[in-house]
Amino acid sequence: MHKDFELPQQVSRRAFLQTSLVTGGALVFAFHFGGRAVAADAAPPKSVVKYPPASFIRVEPDGTTVFQINKLEMGQGVNTSMAQILAEEMDCDWSKVRSESAPVNAVFNHTGFGTQMTGGSSALNSSYEQHRTIGAMARAMFVQAAAEKWEVPTSSLHTENGFVLGSKGKLSYAELAPAVALLSPPETVLLKDPKKFKIIGKSVERVDAFDKSTGKAKFGLDVQIPGMLYCVVARAPVFGAKVKSVNDTAAKAVSGVKMVLALPDRVAVLASNTHAARMGRDALQVDWEKTGKEGVSSASILKEYQEAAKTPGAVAEDKGDTANEMGKAKKKIEAEYVFPYLAHACMEPMNCTINFDGQTCEIWSGHQMPTIDRDTAATMLGLDKERVQVHTTYAGGSFGRRANKNSDYVVEACMIALKAKTPFKVVWTREDDMKGGYYRPFTYHKAVVGLDAKGMPHAWDHRIVGQSVVGDSFFEKMMVKNGVDPTCVEGVAGSHYNVPNRFVTLALQKQHVPVLWWRSVGHTHTAYAMETLMDEIAHNAKKDPLALRLELLKGSPRHVAVLKLLKKVSPWGKPAPKGRAYGLAIQESFNSVVGQVVEVSMSDGQPRVHRVWAAAHVGRVVNPEGAKTQLEGGILFGLSAALYGKVDIADGVPTANNFNDYPVVRMNEAPVIHSFFVDSEDKPTGLGEPGVPPLAPAVANAVFRLTKKRVRTLPFKDSLA
Amino acid sequence: MGELVLNVNGKTHKVNAPEEETLLSVLRNRLNLTGTKYGCGEGQCGACTVLMDGAATRSCSIPAAATAGAKITTIEGLEVNGRLTVVQQAFLDEGAFQCGYCTSGMIMSATSLLRDMKKPNDEQILGAMNGNVCRCGTYPRIRAAIHEAAKTVRG
Repeated sequence: MHKDFELPQQVSRRAFLQTSLVTGGALVFAFHFGGRAVAADAAPPKSVVKYPPASFIRVEPDGTTVFQINKLEMGQGVNTSMAQILAEEMDCDWSKVRSESAPVNAVFNHTGFGTQMTGGSSALNSSYEQHRTIGAMARAMFVQAAAEKWEVPTSSLHTENGFVLGSKGKLSYAELAPAVALLSPPETVLLKDPKKFKIIGKSVERVDAFDKSTGKAKFGLDVQIPGMLYCVVARAPVFGAKVKSVNDTAAKAVSGVKMVLALPDRVAVLASNTHAARMGRDALQVDWEKTGKEGVSSASILKEYQEAAKTPGAVAEDKGDTANEMGKAKKKIEAEYVFPYLAHACMEPMNCTINFDGQTCEIWSGHQMPTIDRDTAATMLGLDKERVQVHTTYAGGSFGRRANKNSDYVVEACMIALKAKTPFKVVWTREDDMKGGYYRPFTYHKAVVGLDAKGMPHAWDHRIVGQSVVGDSFFEKMMVKNGVDPTCVEGVAGSHYNVPNRFVTLALQKQHVPVLWWRSVGHTHTAYAMETLMDEIAHNAKKDPLALRLELLKGSPRHVAVLKLLKKVSPWGKPAPKGRAYGLAIQESFNSVVGQVVEVSMSDGQPRVHRVWAAAHVGRVVNPEGAKTQLEGGILFGLSAALYGKVDIADGVPTANNFNDYPVVRMNEAPVIHSFFVDSEDKPTGLGEPGVPPLAPAVANAVFRLTKKRVRTLPFKDSLA
Repeated sequence: MGELVLNVNGKTHKVNAPEEETLLSVLRNRLNLTGTKYGCGEGQCGACTVLMDGAATRSCSIPAAATAGAKITTIEGLEVNGRLTVVQQAFLDEGAFQCGYCTSGMIMSATSLLRDMKKPNDEQILGAMNGNVCRCGTYPRIRAAIHEAAKTVRG
């Protein structure tokens, strides 16, 4: 999940011949196979790569270049940034670019994961070289077509803004498209010298700007297909409960309700509109079987986890000889951390539209993992995969929720479709969404840090207890080895801090509450523990926290660069304004390093964040304003969780319902954010998630300065009450 | 079930809907105007904001029946032949959106604010906008967009 993505494997000829795009009126260029990319700025690649440019690009007669974006646009800007990469090498007219969401096809697989998916903040990192090559191949083919038409050598021609130019004049890509359709892609292409980039590295306006500002952009919840019903589902309050009995008489009598379908573990009400479906569901009387989990509460879970932490779990890291070296420690810092379940709380609640006629099926939603969703649907419906079409719409936020390892809402829609025999859209209310599970897991840490005579960490014993987000899914076999789910320990195990002895263990627990990755996954809790402990270590050693980190991060140049940049751009080291304090944290996640300094004051016992300075090493920045908004977004997402985020379990049931009891940060709580990037020409690395982890610990560190309190249980709202 | 006559974006619509059905539900499900969004159904998130006679209104919290006789404007009713309003253009200029789901509500709330107040200060902006939730974290840019729009509106 965290490796840099290599150039992709060979794409079989058959696979992408099936994907040639033909649309009425649009001119598509066909091809046979891709070629080898030779970067002007790098050594030749190790493998021969085959790319199918025609699957990704088409040029319409009016000169519009349409790109197929094989990632989900959920706010992070892929429809724009990935288009920028294609357009740069292609030299098309950026002002006439349109991005479409790619259908499901093997040619659109993530270059690292072998399935079409968006996640791990890896879109740009995994697509950068591939998309440059595709764009460059397309450009070469337009030049070839012009050269043949003019009967001149290709070397005498150049391209600019969607035109091929030479001594004989100029030809637009649109004019050349029919000829290009008859060409084979070249064996080798030269990539542009990055010094000549005109689009990559620029803050171009987002391609979805107009549609999103005018209400034209269609999200999953907006999908409407002819003859469609609206479906609202009664789900078990206690996860996993089966339906014992249903009385649907009153529900069926509600005007607009067309059918009530009882399934083993839920009851679906289908009606002519959402209002009627909701009224129908309200009128249902459903009795649920007991599962034995009715006694589970947040308190009981914590107790279980504290018990589990009394002995070390599966070994995630064993560096040096922690057990023995801990005995030599001059002083120890011991800390326990409690992290609650967190809801994703996307602005757009979950939804799924499905049209299954028994022979074929179409599904619409904002999918992060469309291949998996498609394959799961095909299995459930008893169809060949080719007969299931998954349409990926815009998503109103996702943060991992729509990358459901169990394809939860797709499976549910299929179960209902098998009985409904009509197209319909499953609509989740906000309450359904909040109570629907798949949370960031409840997690418990127990850490003991042994300090040497200088107060530096010498031995570090860190126990983590939590649920595996990939448990109970096919991901589990792939990812969980010897009892260790890497997503539970990332950021602690293998930490860059030069501590000579470190022993990290994980005790995986099972709960009836389903869990899932939540923006920055393990780093949501590991960064908090690590960075508040670092602050404690610094405080005890009477060292400046930034200086301490520089000392402990020798040999990690990206971390050092980020800390130095933070020192330069933030007021760290200077006295804070009266009544305020600064806090600092740094975390590497998803191949990027992000450090933050926050300026905090206390108000009615709660922290108020006034300003944040963020410094990040994310490799080459494709869209500077876009990159800044991702850091800002991560910071605000992290702030909501730090201040308020908590889904409690009481009597086996999640207690969150709506924004009244799952508060999120509002405009008046948004700090002023200044973002800076370390100059780098490395391949772009992650931005969707890395802004999240440092925020909460940075705030905690500032809170300590102001109150002398070390907050080790989140959210602040509860700990500082 | 009753017949309602609604005026939406300058057009008259006859709708047959139950008394208690919300304006949001009528707009989205019956008039196919999906630009106005469902976010919470309780008036807590602002995604459903429309204008009723120019004033910001949470369409999820008002029955459609209660809007008869009023001029309702949705996000679809702002732009004219591709020409965006000052507020819409300001949102574009400041990049004041990410996923875009809260954007319709934000723009409608901001439009109503600037109709009422030509020179809103930060406190007044927050007062008008605090009911609109954004989970992508674009608040600072939305605030900047409103300031920018206010400058243009003032001339």
